[in-house]
Amino acid sequence: MESIDQEDILLILKLLEESKFDDLCLETGNLKLIARKQGKGEIQAEKEFSFEERVSSPAPQRINPEGRNQDLESQVIVPEAKESRRMESPVLLPKDQEGTILIQAPMLGTFYRAPKPGAPPFVEVGQRVTEDDVVCIIEVMKLFNTVKAGVQGQITKILAENGQMVEFQQPLFLIKPTAEERRRPGA
Amino acid sequence: MNKISSVLVANRGEIAVRIIRACRELGIQSVLAVSEADRESLPARMADRVVCIGPPPAMESYLNIGAIIMAAVGTGAEAIHPGYGFLAEQPGLPEACERYGIIFIGPKADQIRKMGDKLWARKMAMNLGIPVIPGSQLIGDFSDARVAGEKVGFPVLIKAAAGGGGRGMKIVRQPADLKVVFDEASAEARAAFGDDRLFVERYIPNARHVEVQILGDRFGGMVHLGERDCSLQRRYQKMVEEAPSPAVSPQIRQELCQAALGLTRQIQYENAGTVEFVLDQDEDRFYFLEMNTRIQVEHPVTEMITGIDILQEQIRIAAGHPISFSQEEVRFSGQAIECRITAESPRRGFQPCPGRISQWDAPRGAGIRLDTHCYPGYFVPPYYDSLLAKLIAWGKDRPEALERMNKALEEFKVSGVETSIPFHRSIVRHADYRRAKVNTRWLEESLMRECEEHEKD
Repeated sequence: MESIDQEDILLILKLLEESKFDDLCLETGNLKLIARKQGKGEIQAEKEFSFEERVSSPAPQRINPEGRNQDLESQVIVPEAKESRRMESPVLLPKDQEGTILIQAPMLGTFYRAPKPGAPPFVEVGQRVTEDDVVCIIEVMKLFNTVKAGVQGQITKILAENGQMVEFQQPLFLIKPTAEERRRPGA
Repeated sequence: MNKISSVLVANRGEIAVRIIRACRELGIQSVLAVSEADRESLPARMADRVVCIGPPPAMESYLNIGAIIMAAVGTGAEAIHPGYGFLAEQPGLPEACERYGIIFIGPKADQIRKMGDKLWARKMAMNLGIPVIPGSQLIGDFSDARVAGEKVGFPVLIKAAAGGGGRGMKIVRQPADLKVVFDEASAEARAAFGDDRLFVERYIPNARHVEVQILGDRFGGMVHLGERDCSLQRRYQKMVEEAPSPAVSPQIRQELCQAALGLTRQIQYENAGTVEFVLDQDEDRFYFLEMNTRIQVEHPVTEMITGIDILQEQIRIAAGHPISFSQEEVRFSGQAIECRITAESPRRGFQPCPGRISQWDAPRGAGIRLDTHCYPGYFVPPYYDSLLAKLIAWGKDRPEALERMNKALEEFKVSGVETSIPFHRSIVRHADYRRAKVNTRWLEESLMRECEEHEKD
């Protein structure tokens, strides 16, 4: 096992999901993966969250575009709003920036723009990214979670500060999706 | 001496409001950790700062140690108050706090761990000469269970070593039922706690649940604040509590409190804790049951009869101060009763009723206290427990407290969600309760049956 990538993680999670086991703990090299099935009594309202978001691991964390786009018509949000009580879940922007997509923090933790101190940031304003490009790291008690862009497009704004705590769903980046991306319903 | 200037509140609902109030009174800033479902809650409006730690399911928010620790670190909170439930008795939280230099407002991790092991606690009590319910050591298999059952005498309870608070226990009425119940209990304990160790205990039919509030500090100070009686339970969930217990004689009270102090001194317990006992009303004897290493839901009844703010005391103790009063300075006055008002339908088997509260006319008046996070228009989310409010009535004596409670329950008007208020009214008005002729089975076996029959008429 040289390295485990997101594909592998998804495969492992799928196997767990289909198995009769409730928990899985896998440690190999510098990777530690802990996955847990939801209890039967759980309320179903959180269906929109993809299964991989329930995993604590240093493996790639993808923001689920389906989940993010669900409430587009009904939600309007000012991305600069730092106060948590002003924040709503998903995303759309004021009219002048119509079509811009917000990347939100998938978890609370410390926001890092670069893979290590002194290294160049993953992304800068103006940079083009594809869905799988890593845009930042969120650290939770020494677990480093990489966050991917989730869409193809151009970074237009960076909304969080390096080394600072970001809350769950705090706006991190604005991305202007490429035309193809924008034609998708809701995007 | 340490000083805490900011506390992260790692809980929700009425206890979050309670902790924020205690912080305000001490001039401490409060940071509230909320799930997405609680951004608009009353404690979120009251806190000095709010941090969203995750989505609504508790596993990903209120039970997420990583998110809570990072929230405290990121906001500069020096201490974490866990409230009750959620992470309050998870030694992993105080351990993580220690690694990050955060003060945990509660006992030490190893104290939580020791008292969480019911067999360990029982053994310690026995070593101290504190009576425990006659029972067995761990039973390995069914034949052990049979031997233990015969020794203790039927009916017996089979209990999970990792259980507590009524979880993981089963009654065996006669030897013939033992095999089936033993197998069930073993499987359930494995599933619920990941630990299938069981033991057998004598079942006490005419019992009361009585518990002693303790406070300890790091200088060896240890005081008790008297007992609470929590005998009115439905499925081991307390519905009405009061202090002092109407069934405890001065002699028994003295013995109970000394037993509780003996136990907590033995482990040099720090912060607030509760030692639970079973009172056998037929024999007028008590037995140690277990210890809860957290603030209890029902702490207000003790506060009402002592005038001591247990939450403030918890914060001071955690900051490194000694307990602010001595045992001799604790004065007990009058009677306090608490009703746990929940969003549950008494008519429909206490089914939880989340939803939007359209009317919330809270009772007021002399001797009335209401600990709540509810208000008109509040949406009771379906993700968490159904406690809406704790209604507390104090009186100079038990009849006055009962009368005030009765009036307050009449005044309490809630619509939009169904509540337990009508059921609480029938408890408080009942002659058995007024005469203090109840035990831990009374609510389910007498009152609920009477109510059902009444409905049929």
